[in-house]
Amino acid sequence: MRRTRYASLALCFAAAILSAEAVHASSPTLSLIMPRGVQRGAETVMTFSGARLADGEQIFFYEPGFTVKKIEASGANQLKVTVAVAANARLGEHTAQVRTKSGISEYRTFYVGPFAETAEKEPNSDFATPQAVALNGTVTGVVTGEDVDYYVVDAKKGQRVSVEIEGMRLGTTLFDPYVAILDSKRFELSASDDAPLVFQDAVASIVAPADGKYIVEVRESAYGGNGNCRYRLHLGTFPRPMAVYPAGGKIGTETEVRFLGIPSGAFAQKFKLPAQLEEGYGVIAKDAGGMAPSENVFRLYEHDNVLEKEPNDSAATATPAQLPLAFNGVIEKPGDNDYFKFTAKKGQQYEVECFARRIRSALDPFMYLYDAKGRQLAASDDSRGPDSYFRFNVPADGDYTIRVKDHLDRGAGEFVYRIEFHQPKPKLTLGIPRVARYSQSRQTIYVARGNRFATLLSASRAGFAGDLVLDPKGLPAGIKVVSQPMAANMTVMPIVFEAAADAPLGGALVDFRAKLNDPMKDISGGFHNTADLIRGAPGQSIYWRRDVDKLAVAVVEELPFTLEIVQPKTPLVHNGSKLLKIVAHRKEGFTAAINVQFPFRPPGVNASSSVNIPAGKNEILYPINASASARVEKWPVYVLGSANVNGTAWVASQMAELEIAPAYMLLTLERSAVEQGQETEIFCKIENKRAFGGMAKVVLLGLPNKVTTPELEISKDTKELVFKITTDKASPAGRHRNVFCRITITENGEPVLHSRIGATELRIDRPLPMPVAKPKPKPKPTVAAKKPPVKVAPKRLTRLEKLRLEAKERRDAEKAGTSK
Amino acid sequence: MFNVRYIVVSAFVLAATLCASASAQGTKPSEIRVFPPDVNLETSRDRQSLIIQEVYPDGITRDVTQAAKLTLANAAFATLKKNVLYPVADGTTSLKVEHNGLSVNVPVKVQQAKVDRNISFRLDIMPVFMRTSCNNGSCHGAASGKDGFRISLFGFDPAGDYQRITREISGRRINLALPHESLLLTKSVGSVPHTGGKRFAPDSEMYATTLRWLEAGAPDDKGEVPKVLDVELYPKDGVLDGEGATQQMTVRAKYSDGTDRDITSLALFLTNNDNSAPVSEGGLITASKRGEAFIMVRFETKTVGSHFIVLPKGLKYEAPKVPENNYVDTLVNTKLRKLRINPSELCTDEAFLRRAFLDVVGVLPTPDEFRKFMADKDPKKRENLIDDLLTRKEFVEMWVMKWAELLQVRTVNNRVSYKSMLRYYNWLQERVANNVPMDQLVQELLSAKGGTFANAATNYYQGETNTLKISENVAQVFMGMRIQCAQCHNHPFDRWTMDDYYSFGAFFSQIGRKRGEDPREQIIYNRGSGDVRHPIGNRVMQPKFLGGAIPDVKGKDRREVMAKWLASPENPYFARNLANIVWAHFMGKGIINEVDDVRVSNPPVNAELLDELGRKFTNYKYDFKKLVRDICTSRTYQLATKANETNASDSRNFSHASLRRLRAEVLLDSISQVTETKIKFRGLPLGARAVQISDGNTSTYFLTTFGRAKRESVCACEVKMEPNLSQALHLLNGTTVNGKVQQGNVVGKLLAAGKSPQDVVQELYLRCLVRLPNEKEMAALNRVLEEEKDPKGVLEDVFWALMNSREFLFNH
Repeated sequence: MRRTRYASLALCFAAAILSAEAVHASSPTLSLIMPRGVQRGAETVMTFSGARLADGEQIFFYEPGFTVKKIEASGANQLKVTVAVAANARLGEHTAQVRTKSGISEYRTFYVGPFAETAEKEPNSDFATPQAVALNGTVTGVVTGEDVDYYVVDAKKGQRVSVEIEGMRLGTTLFDPYVAILDSKRFELSASDDAPLVFQDAVASIVAPADGKYIVEVRESAYGGNGNCRYRLHLGTFPRPMAVYPAGGKIGTETEVRFLGIPSGAFAQKFKLPAQLEEGYGVIAKDAGGMAPSENVFRLYEHDNVLEKEPNDSAATATPAQLPLAFNGVIEKPGDNDYFKFTAKKGQQYEVECFARRIRSALDPFMYLYDAKGRQLAASDDSRGPDSYFRFNVPADGDYTIRVKDHLDRGAGEFVYRIEFHQPKPKLTLGIPRVARYSQSRQTIYVARGNRFATLLSASRAGFAGDLVLDPKGLPAGIKVVSQPMAANMTVMPIVFEAAADAPLGGALVDFRAKLNDPMKDISGGFHNTADLIRGAPGQSIYWRRDVDKLAVAVVEELPFTLEIVQPKTPLVHNGSKLLKIVAHRKEGFTAAINVQFPFRPPGVNASSSVNIPAGKNEILYPINASASARVEKWPVYVLGSANVNGTAWVASQMAELEIAPAYMLLTLERSAVEQGQETEIFCKIENKRAFGGMAKVVLLGLPNKVTTPELEISKDTKELVFKITTDKASPAGRHRNVFCRITITENGEPVLHSRIGATELRIDRPLPMPVAKPKPKPKPTVAAKKPPVKVAPKRLTRLEKLRLEAKERRDAEKAGTSK
Repeated sequence: MFNVRYIVVSAFVLAATLCASASAQGTKPSEIRVFPPDVNLETSRDRQSLIIQEVYPDGITRDVTQAAKLTLANAAFATLKKNVLYPVADGTTSLKVEHNGLSVNVPVKVQQAKVDRNISFRLDIMPVFMRTSCNNGSCHGAASGKDGFRISLFGFDPAGDYQRITREISGRRINLALPHESLLLTKSVGSVPHTGGKRFAPDSEMYATTLRWLEAGAPDDKGEVPKVLDVELYPKDGVLDGEGATQQMTVRAKYSDGTDRDITSLALFLTNNDNSAPVSEGGLITASKRGEAFIMVRFETKTVGSHFIVLPKGLKYEAPKVPENNYVDTLVNTKLRKLRINPSELCTDEAFLRRAFLDVVGVLPTPDEFRKFMADKDPKKRENLIDDLLTRKEFVEMWVMKWAELLQVRTVNNRVSYKSMLRYYNWLQERVANNVPMDQLVQELLSAKGGTFANAATNYYQGETNTLKISENVAQVFMGMRIQCAQCHNHPFDRWTMDDYYSFGAFFSQIGRKRGEDPREQIIYNRGSGDVRHPIGNRVMQPKFLGGAIPDVKGKDRREVMAKWLASPENPYFARNLANIVWAHFMGKGIINEVDDVRVSNPPVNAELLDELGRKFTNYKYDFKKLVRDICTSRTYQLATKANETNASDSRNFSHASLRRLRAEVLLDSISQVTETKIKFRGLPLGARAVQISDGNTSTYFLTTFGRAKRESVCACEVKMEPNLSQALHLLNGTTVNGKVQQGNVVGKLLAAGKSPQDVVQELYLRCLVRLPNEKEMAALNRVLEEEKDPKGVLEDVFWALMNSREFLFNH
C-alpha cells in the first residue's frame, strides 16, 4: 500500500550501556512512537515506548531520510532517540522498529510532515475560547471523551485556509476525526468527517470570504474519544487537492498534471517521474500558498496516457484509445458515463484494472466491457475493494469498448479514475505464517550468537508452479540459512537460521527473496508482511494496516541454552507414532523450564501443540504421529523452544530429518463374536511389506473392559496370528468396533511404533435367556462335539464358517431333541 | 368502496341526531329504509332476504322487517316467503314496502330463473369452512391441521384445500359412492365423534350444499371462478333503543361476473363489543348494555362492518350548547350528541398551562412562566401560549424523539455503528427542525440510497435488513397497518390477502447492500433485480401499492415509486395515519387506537374527525405543526379531566381529558428540572435532557423502569405508559427522587435566599404541580412546619412527597 523503498540502515550508535552483568532480556516490544510525527529537515527526539527496550541499539527505518544521532534508554521500557530527518524525506507515513542487543521489536508507524509542530493547550473546548495558532503549522492534540477542540487563525480576504488531519492514519487507535472551518459567527464554511482521499480522516479548505478570524473545530465524528485519540492537524494556506488528474504517468517522463478539488481553483504542475516502477508513489501539490502536507497517490506505468475527450457519454462517442496506454477520465457529473474504444487482437490477455479508490478518488467505479456489437463481455463493481477489475481474454480481433460510471451514478469534478491494462505476470510472495492473530509476534528473525532460530516460510505462487529456492539479499554477517528447496506441491517450508558464535551483534532489513528453481525462468519474489494496527467493530475489522516488504534480521546476544533433536534412526510409519527426543543444553546456572514446539508438520503428521522441558531437566520426548495418508518423504524438521530470560527467548534446534514411511506390514483382522464369559479368537493375516530384524511385539488394543488377550510376537516371516480372547460374564455386550493392533518393531535400538494397525470389530453377546436352558443338555454335547473338531482340526474356522457350523449343530440338536 | 344507496322516501331533512326529542315512543318515524336497495335474482336457487329499518327523528332505529307490509307488484316473476324473495320467471318487477304510513319501492330483477347454477367448490363449499370455523387456527386451519385433517387457514389456499379434501384418505374423507357417509359430513353433524363437536345440523343449508357437491362428484372448479368484489352488510348503522331491542342483518356479495348473492347464511358475523351488541350466527343483533359496537361480517377475504349504538331505554337527553373553537370540536361534539354524552367543562388555566407544556414541549412551566400566564388577561392567551410553545426548540426535540422511535434510530451490534446511528439521528433532527414537510421527509427516507455515513437516511434499511420485515415496518409506521398476518394467510380481520402482502413486499426486493470502505459503513443502492415470490405457487409478485394500483416500475427504483405514492394524497392512509399519531400524542388515545393498528375490524371512533384531520394535514402541505395547533387550540383538548354525569363511562370519544402518565423521558426531565439537577447521557453534554438521547440503546435504570422505547420494533406499544409497582417503588425508595432533592439542594437555596418556609412550599407547589397549594394543604403543612424544628428537612420531605404525588406523575 505504501512505498517501501529500502532504506540503507541508519547508523547505529552505541546505546546506553547496560549494567556490566550479562542480564539477558529478549522479545522487545514497541507499542508507540512519540511524537506521532516529525518535521522534515529538523532534528527531533523521538520516544520509542514498549517493553524491554533498554538495550536498544539501532532503529530500523524502512525508508531513507533518517539519521539517528543518539539512542538513550529512559527506563527499562523506553528509548529516547535523536533523529535528524532529511529535508527531502518523503512526506507521510513511515515505519520503524527497534533492534536491541537481545531482539527486534515489532514495527510501528510515524509521520513526516512539512510543518513545525505546536501542542494543543486545554482548555480549548469552547467555541468562545479557541486556541490561537499560526497558519502553516501542525497542531498535535488529543480528543478525550466527547472533547471538542477549537483553534483560531487569522486570515485575509481571499486567502486560502486548508486543514488536513491525521487521526485514524496515525495507526494507534480507532479514532475517526471530524474537522470544520467556521467563521467567527459560528457558520460552518467547510466541514468534513470522512474523505476518500484520507480514509476516515478529514480535510477541509476554504477561501476566506473576508479578513477575520476563522475557527477550526476538531472532534471525534460521533463525539467519542479517549486519551489515545491523538491527532496531527495541519493548518495553513497550502493547497489541499482532493484529486490529481491524470493520476498516473509514464516512468522517466516529465508529466503535467492538474490538481483538482481545491476551492481556490485547480492548477497544473509538472513532475519528473522516476525511471523505475515504484509502489506507493505520490505527488505533492505546491503553489504560492505552500505545499500540501501529504501526497496524492500517483501511478507509475510503463506506458503513456490517453485522456478522455468529452463528450464520450456513449459508445458512439467513445474516446479512441490504443493499448497499452492507460485510460484516464473524470466522472464529472451525476449520471455521467465515460466510454473508451480500443482495438485488440485475438488471444491477447489483459488484466484490466480500474484505479479510483486505490488512487483515493471518491469514485466507486463500475466498469463494463463491450464488443463492437455492444454485447457485454465483462462487468465489475467491487473486485478490488471498491475498485473494478476483470481479466480480458480477447476473443477475436476487433474493436472493444470500456465504460465507466459511478456505482450510485454520482459524479463530481474530482471523481478521477484510471484504467490500466497489464499482461498477466507470474507472481511470488513470501511470508511468515502468523502465530497469533493480529500480532507481529515472531515475524522478525533474531538469532543468538552460537545458536539457532527457525521459522516457517510461506509462499504464494500466482501464475506459475515449481520448486522454490531461497535467495536472501544482504543477510547480516555471521548468519547462515539452512533450508531445502520448497517442493512445488508445498506452500510452507521450514528454515533454520544459524549464527556463528563469533558473529557480530547487528542487524538489517533484508530483502528476503526466493526464486523459482529453474535457471531458464526469472521468477522471484520477496517477503511481505502486514501489521493490523487498528481493528474494531463490526467483528474484528481492520481499520488501518501497514505493509512492509523487508524482513528484519539480527544477531543478538548469547542465550543460556540450545536445543537439539536427537536424530531419529527409524522412520515414522503410517498410522504410527514416535517419540522425538529433544535435548536442551543448558549453560551453567540456567534451570528455567523450556517450552518446546514442533512448528513444521509435514502433511499428515500431527503432534502436541507444545511440550515442556521442566525446570532443571534437560530432555523430553515429543510425541508425534502420522496418519495413513502422510506423505512418504524425508522431511526437514525442527523444534522451537522458548524460555523466560527476562522476556521470552526463542531458540531452534538444528534441522533434523524425519522419515515418513509406509507401515512395515499389512494386518487383516477378522471380525469375531463371543458370548459373555466365553472365549473366542481373532484371526489375523499379515502381509509383510518391509523386512525387519528380530521379533516385533503385537498387542491388541481397544478391547472392552474385562476382555483380555495375551501379547504376541511376530517376525518378518509371520503370516498368520491368532489372538485368544477371554471374556468375562461382566464384559460389556455390544459391538466394539475400535479394536486394533499396536506393533512395536525395534530397529537400530529405536522402536518403530505402528500404533494403530489392522482395525476390526469384536461383538460380545449376552447369553441366550435361561428358559432356553431346557434343551441345554442337548447343546452341551454339541459344544462338546464342537470342541473336538477344533482340537482335531487346528485349521481355524472363519466367523462365517463358525456360524454355519453352529446353525447346523443347532438344527441337528433340535432334530435329535424332537426325535427323542 | 360501498355503494351505499339508501332508499330515502321521507322528505324530512335528517336532523335526527340533533333533535332534542325524548324517545322514539309515540313519535312518528321519519324514514324507513329497505335493504338491500335492489334485488337481483339470478338462477333458480337464488334468493334475497330483505331488512326493513325504521328511523326516528332522534336517530333511534328499529327493525320492522316482520311488521312491515310487503307487496310484489307482479307475482309472476318472484315469490315472497316472509321477507325472502325467490325467483319464478325472468323479468322485472318491484316490491312495495309499507309501514307506519311510509313506503318504499324496491326494484326486483329476475334472470335465468329456470337455470340451476352448478355447484362450485370455491363459491359454495369454501364459505362453509369459514362460517363453521373449520379453517380456524385452533381447528383444521392450524399449520399442522387437527386430528390428521388440514385445510388452509381462513381459506387462503382453495386449490390446496380441494386437493387435501378429495385426495387424502380416499373413500373416507369423502365417499362418492355414499356421499352422506363421507367423514366431511358425518363429523360435521356430530354423528361420529368429532373433537370440534357438531358444526351444523343434517337439515341445515350447509349440509345440503356439501351433500349436493359430493353427490355431484366433488367437482373442482373449471375455468375462471368469479371473484368476490364487494361484500355489503345491511343496515349500515343503527341506534338501538334499550336492552332487548333487536336488529337482523343481511349480507350480499357482489361477484366479478356481475351477479350477486344473499350470503347471510354463509357469512361469519362478529362483534367488537359483546357487552353492548352481541350478534348471533344468523346475524341477529340483540341490544344489551349501553355502548357502541362494530358489527362485522367476514366472507372470503373481505371483512366489512356496521356501526351500532345501544342506548338505555327511553333515555332523556338534551344536547347542550357547547362553544366550538374549530372543526375538531364540531366533529367531536357531533359524535357525542349521537351517544347522548356531554363534554366536560373547560379545564383551569393552571391545568391547561401544565398540560400544554408537558405535551407540546415536554417540560414543566417555571414559576415565572406560571405567574405570567395567570396574570395574562388576554382571552386568547391559551392560543397564544400554544403558538409560543410551537416555536420552542423543545417542541422539535419531542417530535424528533417520537420519530426516532418509529424510525428505530438505535445502534445494532455489528450492523449500525454508533456513528451511523448518530448521523441518522442528526439527519432526522435537521429535517424536523427545519420543518421539512412530512411527505418530503418520508419520501427521502424510503427512497434513500448511498452510504450509511454519506446519506444517513439509508440507515433505515440497515437497522432492518429483511425484505418482508421492512415492508411490514413501512406499512405499520406510515400507514398504521399491521400486515404481518398476511405473510402466512389472508388477514382474518382485515382486507389484506397474501397477494397484497407479497406484492407490497416486492417494492423492497431490490435493495442492494454492500460494504463501504469503512467497515462500519454500508452502501444501500438499487440492485435493479430481485423479486418476491408468493409461497403458494412460487409466483413472482408484481409490486402493488397496499390497497392501491399496480404501478409501472420497469427500469425504475421500486422504492422511489413506492415512496412517491406512499407519502402523497393518493395514499388514503398516510395523512390520516400521521394525523392520528399526532392526535394520540395530545389526547392520550388515537381516534384509531392503537395508532398502528388500523384495520377494518378496529374502526375509528370518529371517522369524520379522522378524515378531516387527514384532509387538513394534506392541505397544510404535511406541515404537522399546523395540525398540532388545530388540536391544541380546540376546546376538546382543553377539557377538564373531571367527568360529568353523562360522560363518566366514556373513555374513547374525547368527552373529557384523560389522565396520562408522563413518558419516561419527560418524567425524568421534569424531575431534573424541578430539582435543578443534571444528568450525563452518552454523546450529550452534562445537563442535557433525556428527550434528546439519540440512541435507542442508551438508557438508565429510571428510563427503563418507566418504559422508554428501546426502538427494537416499530410498534407503538414499545413506549410503556402504564404505571406499575416498580415505578412507584423506584420513585419512593430509589435514588432518583431523593438523590436529586439532595443533589439539587433547591430547598436549601430557596431558604438561603431568605424565603419563608411558607413561600418555599408555594414555590415547590408551583414547580411540581403548577398550582398554588390550597388552603387545606397549606394548613396541614403549616402545622408540621410549626411542630418540626428543622424546616429544611420538612420542606425537602414536602418536595419529595410532591414528586411522588399522582398529580406530578400524570398529565391531567
